[in-house]
Amino acid sequence: MLILTLIWLLLGAAIGLLANVAQLRPRNWQHLGWLAMVGLGMVTALCGGWLGVLLFGRLFSTATALWIGCLGVMLPSLLNRMAMWRSTTSISIPIHFPEPLIRRSPGTVLPHADKQK
Amino acid sequence: MRKSQQQSIPNPGPESQPGQTPASTGTTPTKAERRHKRTIIMARILLLLLLGIGFLLSMLPWGRAIARATFLLPALVTATEPLPLIVGGETIQHSQMTVPSRSGTVYLDIYAPSTPAPLVASARSGVLIIPGAGDNRQVPQLINLSQALARSGLVVMDMVTPTLINYDLSAQDSDAVVQAFQTLRHLPGMTGKRAGIISFSAGVPLASFAGADPRIRDEVAYITVFGGYFNTRSLLRAFGRHALDVNGTVEPWQPAEVPIQVMTNVITKAFTSDERSEIERALAPGSKALTTSEQARLSPAALAAYQLLTGSAPNKVEANINALPAPIQEQLELLSPSRVIAQIRAPIFLLHDRHDPSIPFTESRDFAAALARLHHPYDYVEFQIFDHVEVKSNIPVGQLIGDGAHLFSILQQILFLGA
Repeated sequence: MLILTLIWLLLGAAIGLLANVAQLRPRNWQHLGWLAMVGLGMVTALCGGWLGVLLFGRLFSTATALWIGCLGVMLPSLLNRMAMWRSTTSISIPIHFPEPLIRRSPGTVLPHADKQK
Repeated sequence: MRKSQQQSIPNPGPESQPGQTPASTGTTPTKAERRHKRTIIMARILLLLLLGIGFLLSMLPWGRAIARATFLLPALVTATEPLPLIVGGETIQHSQMTVPSRSGTVYLDIYAPSTPAPLVASARSGVLIIPGAGDNRQVPQLINLSQALARSGLVVMDMVTPTLINYDLSAQDSDAVVQAFQTLRHLPGMTGKRAGIISFSAGVPLASFAGADPRIRDEVAYITVFGGYFNTRSLLRAFGRHALDVNGTVEPWQPAEVPIQVMTNVITKAFTSDERSEIERALAPGSKALTTSEQARLSPAALAAYQLLTGSAPNKVEANINALPAPIQEQLELLSPSRVIAQIRAPIFLLHDRHDPSIPFTESRDFAAALARLHHPYDYVEFQIFDHVEVKSNIPVGQLIGDGAHLFSILQQILFLGA
C-alpha cells in the first residue's frame, strides 16, 4: 500500500505541475501559488486513491486518484470562473446613494429631528 | 471598472484565458506568445483527457473491464505476473477446500483478494475454472492465471474431480461443477456478486452441462470454452481419420498423447480388463503397436476402439464407431456438449488454437455454428499463440499483437459480464 500511496502522490504532483502549465492557478494565489497547486494535486490524488480502494478495490484506485486529482486542481479555477460568471450574469440595479450633506457623528442631532418625532 | 482594466492586461498571467493573449487585444502575437498559448491549451486538453480516462476506467463497469483486461493481458500472454499487476493489484491469499458431489469429492483451490470486498458490488466477481483432464493444480500457467485474476479483484476457484485426475470423463461430474459453483457464490465477500465459468479442454463438456443445469443456469454470468470439443462422435472421427475436414478440404491432424489417453478411458469401459490393458499398453507412449495376431485376439468392438484410437483404419471410421458397444455409444452421446446447448442461458465465448494437437479446432467451429443457429449470444476466436491451452514461448511479435488484440476483446467482454 505504501508504494501505491507514493504513486498517487507522484501522480498528484505531476497533475499539479500540469495544472500550473495550463495556468489553472487562481489569480490570488501569487506567493508560492505553483507549489500550492502541486500540493493540491497531491492531496486530492491521495484522497482519490484511498476512496478508490474503498469503493472499487486496489486495481482501480490509481484511475480514481487520476481523475479526482485532475478535478481537484481544476476546482479552484472552476469555482473562480463560476463566481465571476455569477457576478457578471446576475441582475443588479445600480442604486446611487447621494453623499450625505451632513455627516452624522455620535451625539449629532439631525436638523428637524424634533419635527419628525 | 477594475475588472475591465484587468482584462486588457496583455501578458497572460495565472488563470488567464488562452484567448486573452495580445491577439485578442488587437496587437499581433509573437511566435513565442503563440507557442505559449498552444502549450496552455495542450496542457488543459491533457488534463481533461486524464480526467476522462480516469473516470471511465474507475466509475463505469465496462471501463473497469477494460482496465482489468489491460492488466491481465500481459499476464496471460507472457505466462508471468507483470509488475504493474503485482504493485497495483490486490494482495491475494490461497486456500484449499473440498466439497462433496454425486461423483465424489471435489477438490477446490481458491485464490482470492485478501482485502475486504469493495463497496461497489460490481467491482468484485467470481470465476470457476475447470482446467481439464489430469491434476493440473500445480501447473504454473494455471497458477499464474488464477493469481492474475485474483490480483485483478476476482475470486478464483480452480476445481478438479477424481474422474478428471484419472484422465477420464463422466457426465456425472457436472454435479461437481454445480456444487463448486454454488460454493463459490457463497464464499465470504461473494454475496450478491456474479460469477462465470472458464473451462479448458476436457473441462468444456462439464462446464456446458453445468451451464445447462436448472440449479445454476440463471446464475452463470458467462461460459468460456477454451480448446474444447462439441461432439464426442466427431472428435472420435478426427482421432480415427487422423485428419480434419476444414471447409470441404481434408487437413492431416495428429492427436497428442493426453487426449488419446482420455478417449481410451472413455471408450474402453465396456471391455474386459484384459482387452483394456492390452489397448492401453499398445497406446502408451513409446510402446509398439499391436501385431496382426494380437489384434485378431481382440473382440470386434475392442478392435474397432483400437483402430479408432490409433488411426490405423481411416477408411473404416464410421463402421468402427458403430461397432462400439451400446453403453459406449450412450456414453458418447452423454458426453457431448451438443446435447445441452439449447438449455444454456449464459453467453458462451469460444477460444481455440488453429493448430491445436489435442482437440481439433473444427470442434469449436461446429460449436459456434450451432450457437449461431440457435441465436445464442456467443463469440468465437481462433488463435495461433497457444499450444492447446498453454501459451507458446517465443511467439513472433506480429502474431502476438494480432492474437493479443483478440484475447483482449474476449477478456474485456468476459470481465464486463462478470461485473
